[in-house]
Amino acid sequence: MEHLITFTTPDQNSISVKSQTGMLLSDAAHLAGIDIGQPCGGQGRCGRCAVQVTDGTVRRRSALRLSPADIEQGFALACQTVVEDDVSIYVPPQEKIERRLTTDRVVAEVTVPADYDYLSDQTVRRIHLELTPPSMDDQTDDWSRLQTALRLQHRLENVTCSLPLLQKIGAALREGEWQVTAIVDLANVLQSGESDRPVWLIDLQPGHVDEYSSLWGTAIDIGTTTVSLWMVNLVTGEVKAQAAEYNGQIARGEDVISRIVYAGKGNGREDLRQRVLDTMNVLLEIACKRVKAKPEDIVKATIAGNSTMMHLLLGIPAENIRLSPFITGVNHLPVMTAREVGLSANPEASVDCLPGVASYVGADITAGVLSAGVDSAEETTLFLDVGTNGEIVLGDRDWLVTCACSAGPAFEGAGVVNGMRATTGAIEEVWINSETFEPTYRVIGGGKPKGICGSGLISLLSEAFITGILDKRGNVNLMATSSRVREGAHGGEYVVAWGAESESGEDIVLSRVDVDNLLRAKAAIYAGFTVLAETVGISLEAVSKVLVGGSFGKYINVEKAVQIGLLPDMDWSRFEFLGNTSVKGAYLALLDWQKRERITEIAKRMTYIELSADNTFYEAFTSALFLPHTDLSKFPSVESALQKN
Amino acid sequence: MPIEIPKDKWAGSIKAITIGATSAEGGTRAKAVTVGGGTTMPYLQFEAPTPNKPVIAIEIKSRKPEDWSPLLAEVWGEAMADSAQWAKKAEEAGADLIVLALTVEDNPEDAVKAVKSVLGATGLPLIVWGPGQAEKDNELLVPISEATKGERLVLGICEDKNYRTIVATAMANGHLVQARAPMDVNLSKQLNILISDMGMPKDRILMDPTTGALGYGMEYGYSVMERLRLAALQGDAMTQFPMIVTPGFEAWKTKEAKVGEGVPQAWGDWKARAINWETLTAIALIESGADVVVLRHPESVKRIKEAIEELITA
Repeated sequence: MEHLITFTTPDQNSISVKSQTGMLLSDAAHLAGIDIGQPCGGQGRCGRCAVQVTDGTVRRRSALRLSPADIEQGFALACQTVVEDDVSIYVPPQEKIERRLTTDRVVAEVTVPADYDYLSDQTVRRIHLELTPPSMDDQTDDWSRLQTALRLQHRLENVTCSLPLLQKIGAALREGEWQVTAIVDLANVLQSGESDRPVWLIDLQPGHVDEYSSLWGTAIDIGTTTVSLWMVNLVTGEVKAQAAEYNGQIARGEDVISRIVYAGKGNGREDLRQRVLDTMNVLLEIACKRVKAKPEDIVKATIAGNSTMMHLLLGIPAENIRLSPFITGVNHLPVMTAREVGLSANPEASVDCLPGVASYVGADITAGVLSAGVDSAEETTLFLDVGTNGEIVLGDRDWLVTCACSAGPAFEGAGVVNGMRATTGAIEEVWINSETFEPTYRVIGGGKPKGICGSGLISLLSEAFITGILDKRGNVNLMATSSRVREGAHGGEYVVAWGAESESGEDIVLSRVDVDNLLRAKAAIYAGFTVLAETVGISLEAVSKVLVGGSFGKYINVEKAVQIGLLPDMDWSRFEFLGNTSVKGAYLALLDWQKRERITEIAKRMTYIELSADNTFYEAFTSALFLPHTDLSKFPSVESALQKN
Repeated sequence: MPIEIPKDKWAGSIKAITIGATSAEGGTRAKAVTVGGGTTMPYLQFEAPTPNKPVIAIEIKSRKPEDWSPLLAEVWGEAMADSAQWAKKAEEAGADLIVLALTVEDNPEDAVKAVKSVLGATGLPLIVWGPGQAEKDNELLVPISEATKGERLVLGICEDKNYRTIVATAMANGHLVQARAPMDVNLSKQLNILISDMGMPKDRILMDPTTGALGYGMEYGYSVMERLRLAALQGDAMTQFPMIVTPGFEAWKTKEAKVGEGVPQAWGDWKARAINWETLTAIALIESGADVVVLRHPESVKRIKEAIEELITA
């Protein structure tokens, strides 16, 4: 039977064509000269060809990617929907489709905690002082005069400061004509509730600086691969700048073990300390420029990072982290100054390094647990922090168990030929047409691609697997007929972008070695997760939320992460992607001393499970070293996707 | 009072697989050999009889091996220089199957010729191994596979980095494949999945879990085989293939078997020790579920045959 199909495009043009019963909407659109993108090759996998049926009835062969609400509104996948009647079709603009699809790729925005109150939560304060000028009758020394003013005007009874600051005090008092602004850190007083605890004087500035003008602090996450820094106005709590860069220590080893080994040789420890400081100081400089501040304006820094990174930053010997029985030098560090640590900030700025739990579960995880809210969850929650080490926490407000597994830096875009951090120019999502093997990709910033970031690698690996370019072991199928599949320097490879399209002019490829690195990374994480769940006797179904942190990229596509076996195959609504949870936890601790205390409690509450204690982890690892997993029955949605192809 | 022996009931079983084809089946073998089919842990005759005995393959080479123990050179003599003759002697020594191992020096024509001459010299089913380098394996095995279509040879050795070409040619020409993974249950299973994903029928895969000689990791291989068998019986389809292992190769590379001089006197007679090494390795592997053992010394073959009879009739 013949039907009349009327397409309406976003610019309100209407085009009608005649078609037989059973014709695909995508074919009818082609007849009408309307281009509907089909990155996956008309397999109904990508959802990019969604159109809206405004009149008439159609038959949807598949509606994978459409929610019941979408179908209610008439949405249908053009490549999977056949004509059975005269119909009117609205073709929505592509951007709209993309936006609609982002519902499964949520990323949390930074918002200032609603209850943040500078005057009760922040430990660093700016206070005004008016001193009585000295005279022949009052020959009290400058420091005592200042202490008296602090005591009488602000009830601060025990203020101390460093020698370099003492050297500046006289000048500041006189320049301000005995009106000064002091910046003090009240952490000890606030935490103990006792006014005679030591208060640290960070700075003394002449005159009265507006009490509520910007006061800068910084939250830093030192990752093995990536260092992330947030610049925060402590008065309002707002994050005013963010910056991230690869950790300068990478040149001396990609994982914590090789860094520890390096630190033990010759001048290695000092070299590594200097390298990470250089990275942090460059980031501080960038962040300061963005907010038009000077490094001296930064009066407080809160630092999270894994135990090895923390030791290496502070120059504390780290070798016992590597050697059985795997002991850190220190888990709970005292508050230090920027001068001692070597940060380019106000030399007297308080530097608060957050506490860790064990050698392989550090402050990045305690901070992450706080920011992800695992410690207050009512139901069983699984928290994964995917970095160079994959750390996993399982629990709720009553109990927390944790373990760590070495994943390698692949998901941060390092250790992969064309990998890069998730910044401008990174390919962050890829679709591959299953018939032609031609890819469609999206680049952060929209320009020419420079490389592939973690989320792009996940999506690329998954697409290459589902379309048969890779077998389940990750071997490139050189029998595939496409010029993009070829023999490279280290075995088979797939060309994602030809040199003509890329920023550097060179082909962007996924090599066999990259695939192996990615497989190992995902297998380590999945294995850690299964072993941890088994250890406490909990099955997947009992986990009501899976919170995923890590700097993969802006978006993670759950479906892709499940298809490669990185995440367990469960209802997508149970996943939440939180981005860098470590720096976010450091930010919360920077703002609020009560949250800082909470991190200490979390560190004490977590039970650490050592995976190297027996061979269950190795067993789980090798079975996960497959796409998606040796036991396909654990991944029913992937099984059905493979059967469709 | 009679004691009732508890019996396990299993959900799965090992597939029975036939190697070699007679003229009635499209090949030229005098008889075919069927292995596998077990429904219990090995040799628990009170649970179920062993449907097919384990079999012995004797390994011969396409060219005279220079690095083999003098004890082997002594027993095979001149035949080692001619694979057809060697195969004939191996059949006389009691082999159920022949393994012909090709070398890197072989070109495709030599290799095809060697295979054909072995097929002509003996009526036993044949297993053909490439030299063990991916490219060379593929270069030699494809023409062999085509030239022997319908013989139900076993072609090998497939590993996870190089299996496609061998599997494709075996599928096209009615042969079987030997799938080797390095002593790990998961890795064995994964390779079997990869091969099955290509469409290889499940009655044409032999799995080779890799093994070590006595004193050189045999117990590890033993336990992997045991676990593969348990997984198979529990119903895991991707571990239900008969197993082939190479105790001859493993035992004859140990110092104990290879070297006769400059070793402690307490080691005793060299020849007896070397043969014992191969025999003890092989019998232990048979007891853990091996269906095909590949041996090198005729005396070991004789002893293993006797041991198999004892296991079956016990």
